[in-house]
Amino acid sequence: MRKPLFLLLLLIFSSSCVAVREYDKVYLNDVEMQLGARANELFETNFHIYREASSGANGGKTGGGCGCN
Amino acid sequence: MEEKLVAVVAVTNSIIMKSKPQQIKSIFFLGNVLFMVFMLMGSIVFAQQNDTSYQKRVLETSEVDLLFSYYNQNGTHAAVTGGEGTEELTDATSTIVLRMPMNENDVLTIDVGLSAYTSASSSNINPLDGGINVTPFDASSGESRKDLLAYINPTYSHSSEDRNTIWSANAYVSSEYDYFSIGFGGSYTKLFNEKNTEITLSGKVFLDKWNAIYPIELRDGFFDNRITGNGTYNPIFSEFDKETRNSYSLSLSFSQILTEKLQGALFLDLVSQNGLLSTPFQRVYFADFEDFYIDDFQLADNVEQLPDTRLKVPFGGRLNYYLNDLIVLRTYYRYYWDDWGITSHTASLEVPFKMTDKFTLYPTYRYYTQTAADYFYPKEVALSSYSFYTSDYDLSDYSSHQYGMGVQYRDIFTTARVLNFGLKTIDLRFSQYDRSDGLNAFIITLGTTFVGN
Repeated sequence: MRKPLFLLLLLIFSSSCVAVREYDKVYLNDVEMQLGARANELFETNFHIYREASSGANGGKTGGGCGCN
Repeated sequence: MEEKLVAVVAVTNSIIMKSKPQQIKSIFFLGNVLFMVFMLMGSIVFAQQNDTSYQKRVLETSEVDLLFSYYNQNGTHAAVTGGEGTEELTDATSTIVLRMPMNENDVLTIDVGLSAYTSASSSNINPLDGGINVTPFDASSGESRKDLLAYINPTYSHSSEDRNTIWSANAYVSSEYDYFSIGFGGSYTKLFNEKNTEITLSGKVFLDKWNAIYPIELRDGFFDNRITGNGTYNPIFSEFDKETRNSYSLSLSFSQILTEKLQGALFLDLVSQNGLLSTPFQRVYFADFEDFYIDDFQLADNVEQLPDTRLKVPFGGRLNYYLNDLIVLRTYYRYYWDDWGITSHTASLEVPFKMTDKFTLYPTYRYYTQTAADYFYPKEVALSSYSFYTSDYDLSDYSSHQYGMGVQYRDIFTTARVLNFGLKTIDLRFSQYDRSDGLNAFIITLGTTFVGN
């Protein structure tokens, strides 16, 4: 399971041989295409940190600030 | 339009004020006060920005995010009562994020928040100060029933003239009744390949301190003539001698534009924690100890005991695809491992659908599954001879589904105005969370963004 996933990610991220020019980034610049989480998703991330054993790798806090996790 | 906005805010506040307890009212009142203070600060900063520079700024004008959330959960596996008892909890949080351009290249972000919760579970740290019949399935009315978390998180970032290098420094301070945290960190970002590739390296340190609170029956001098059971109640409890908790994290992120409609990112964190990683008020009941009660409430044999170190390694990725002018696909996956024996998988999908040029509807779905920690035992399964044990179901084996729906209003021309600020976005979101161990929760969040003009 992990190996095919890793190979798929490697394939995707290594396939970008040609850089997309600034003037061709009209779709990429769409606000919904931003790679970060939405601002109000912060609260959901916080309750996941409290209620679940995992955290991190999502731009959220990795520790501190509460007696959780 | 401005009158409409004010009316909407007033109606929203009115509904909230009528439906929530006094503490939640306080949060929204404080939120309103903070909002006015930041609006005034933003106005002053805006007034100082009228220079004649021709370079495009990293941030053109000041922006303010106002964020509110209301969270409610319920379940029957409270860790405070050893894995059996009410998990009822409500939380209201108000956050303000102010982003101010300091010059063409620098931005100061100040994130301030207040969070108030009311918890039936934590009220049972002392279940004896409440109702007539003591039971883990009812809330006590004592002081431990509620708490307030306040935090501030300032960040200063600097971008190079060519916008290909960004560094930032940040600090964090938070305080609640039994927990204090101070943290600091920094990050370095490099963009290259015509800004198609971005790599960020960041690090954070949190230095936390517990003010340990223990279950009432384990405190020095406890006596109650209602105790029933065979023999003499004699728990093996002793107080923790160390109340600090330090967290160190190192994060690497890599994002890549793949095609004109596809981009993705990978994230890797290494997190090391040491100190008091147990929660001091979470009870444990042993299989090899007699049971003792006051009414229907079972007295603790000990509090949870967890190792004083933990290494966590989450690895995740996002992939966003612009399907067409109406629909975008936003995906996320994370694999997590730690040295307490927990592994987890998280996957989520969000499908924003653009109904008009200003309104976007976005359904969301998130799946999560984890294995149990090596030290997790249900109630009365652990033996007193074990070194480590907990009955916290957050560390048990379970899976969860989260379904949500959001609606966003976005006006890039900011025609609606409050003081010097124009309304850019309103984002309302609802999510329902169902866990396989019976815990259910929902969260409603409201976010607004105002920009200076």
